Amino acid sequence: MENKLRRYEKIEFLGEGQFATVYKARDVETDTFVAVKKIKIGTRQEADDGINRTALREIKLLQELHHKNLIGLLDVFGHMSNVSLVFDFMDTDLEVIIKDNTIILTTGNIKAYILQTLQGLEYLHLNWILHRDLKPNNLLVNAAGVLKIGDFGLAKLYGSPNRINTHQVVTRWYRAPELLYGAKQYGTCIDMWAVGCILAELLLRVPLFPGESDLDQLTKIFSVFGNPTEETWPGVKQLSDYIEFKPLPCIPLKNIFTAAGNDLLDLIESMLVLNPIKRREASECLQLPFFSNKPAPTLGSKLPLPKNVRTIRDIEKPSLKRKILDAAEGGTLSKRLLF
Amino acid sequence: MDDFTCPRCRTSKFQNPSLKMMVNVCGHGLCESCVDLLFLKGSGSCPECKIPLRRNNFRVQLFEDAAVEKEVDIRKRVLRDFNKKEEDFATLKEYNDYLEEVESIIYNLSNNIDVVNTNKRIEQYKRDNKEQIMKNKGKLGREEYELEELLELEKQLEEQRKKEIQMEEIETKKKKIQDKEALIDELMFSNADAKNIIETFAQQAQQAKEESVDKLPSRATKFSTGIQIGQRSNTTFLPVPTDEGPLYTYKPIILSVDGPKPPTTDEILSKGFINHVRPETEQGRAGGFRSIIACSRALQDSMSGLFHSKKSSTVH
Repeated sequence: MENKLRRYEKIEFLGEGQFATVYKARDVETDTFVAVKKIKIGTRQEADDGINRTALREIKLLQELHHKNLIGLLDVFGHMSNVSLVFDFMDTDLEVIIKDNTIILTTGNIKAYILQTLQGLEYLHLNWILHRDLKPNNLLVNAAGVLKIGDFGLAKLYGSPNRINTHQVVTRWYRAPELLYGAKQYGTCIDMWAVGCILAELLLRVPLFPGESDLDQLTKIFSVFGNPTEETWPGVKQLSDYIEFKPLPCIPLKNIFTAAGNDLLDLIESMLVLNPIKRREASECLQLPFFSNKPAPTLGSKLPLPKNVRTIRDIEKPSLKRKILDAAEGGTLSKRLLF
Repeated sequence: MDDFTCPRCRTSKFQNPSLKMMVNVCGHGLCESCVDLLFLKGSGSCPECKIPLRRNNFRVQLFEDAAVEKEVDIRKRVLRDFNKKEEDFATLKEYNDYLEEVESIIYNLSNNIDVVNTNKRIEQYKRDNKEQIMKNKGKLGREEYELEELLELEKQLEEQRKKEIQMEEIETKKKKIQDKEALIDELMFSNADAKNIIETFAQQAQQAKEESVDKLPSRATKFSTGIQIGQRSNTTFLPVPTDEGPLYTYKPIILSVDGPKPPTTDEILSKGFINHVRPETEQGRAGGFRSIIACSRALQDSMSGLFHSKKSSTVH
């Protein structure tokens, strides 16, 4: 265990969540950057229950998942009563990219991001796992333009007929209507709704449904799609938290996404459907014409990066002076790693 | 403007040169002192048409005819809701019709023709176009904001230029004094001909002058262009890359299950696998859960790993 502690050199503090603090570190053995997520011990009472549930989920699920669009769990090690998870280091996330108003997102860029998200999600769903917390903040992007789905703290296996799940999952703005209505059994459709919201956010550059409460969230959703009825969504009245809304008209998506082409509107329409049964699966979405049509998805290296990452990338490119120095000394100087 | 009299106190501009006429939404004027007197409490009624008014809605009359003021007020209010632009219409004719309607509403209101129905029309329009109005309001706000930013920028540049000019003046003054002193020193201590010395100094001064003349115009263009273009915002966008990668084609994921191939969805339905799983509840279906999901997972789970051996595990 001691050598594990020495293996990762802490470089800087990256962020802090409810359950963990994240550091950027260097893996001495492979000389690459990694992100170390140190799970907080919490109060004594919490500690008595053993290791934190979200961490347990991440360890349990990520160890078996290997896909280029899912965050890789490289290592797990413990120190004292503490557990740390080692992940691929990612430079930024979609939330930062969406909020950076110096970045223009072209259709090709958006296609590349959504494509990678759906590919990761297709693999995840095929392995009977729901992510349950998809949002721009959890779609991590590195400087090479590879998008990876991160934060599996709420992920769970699905498909068991008698297992009751909680509906209090997914950040509210990306929460599907059936969850807001209190569905206890659900499927991959909840992740697809979230992807639809994320796609809309990439286009609009603001959240599509920024609800202030669960009720407000439903109002915002229905003000676009109209209210659900027994015909459009069979069984909706049986859901435990069903509330009748006053009739709202349906707005065509064309009016909201004025700049989107027809193939893109088709994609949005197939992910943002009130009735979860009608919502398309990730693999079905990937076969829609939007992805095979022009413009082609932007290559990873050409994807835009927020300012702070850009400068870092420029700094880490070896300068001409350095190259000359290397040539003169026969390349004995250890090169810094390129991301 | 000179023959103005306040309708209440009969004071005219002739009697009181500092008389200021104020006007409120109803379009009837009052002088400033009358406003102070009548609206001590902050609200009251117009002495002419008895309409309830608020004191802080009074403003200085700009136009000679108070009715114009009234129309300006009404126009401002109406245009706040009727804020569509030409881009919002499909044809020019529609846009013209819309403008016509707005004008007739303003005319009706400012001339008290059919006020009740006109107000109803406005309400109706507001209800019908609620979203569009909100959207255009946001747009307008952004434009105004940009304009403000532009003005701020202009102001800063102006100040900077002023400062530079001031600095330059000081510099030139200093230089002149220095040159003079140098000339005197030269004349005092040099052995050369006094005439020659004066000539070279005059030449140098001439040269410096020409240089500064050369310098000035370039700076002037630099300042003026930046402001006059007008549509310049502070944010610069990243260049949009034009070259594209290859087009995407879908390839299905193949999972290695180390076992016999589980039945497909169609097989589960047609071969009756589904009959051995409890049917989904109505609640479950409404939540997007189908019994076929459970069935297919159970089948896959039962079959995966059946062919597992040490050899195959090392391959993975």
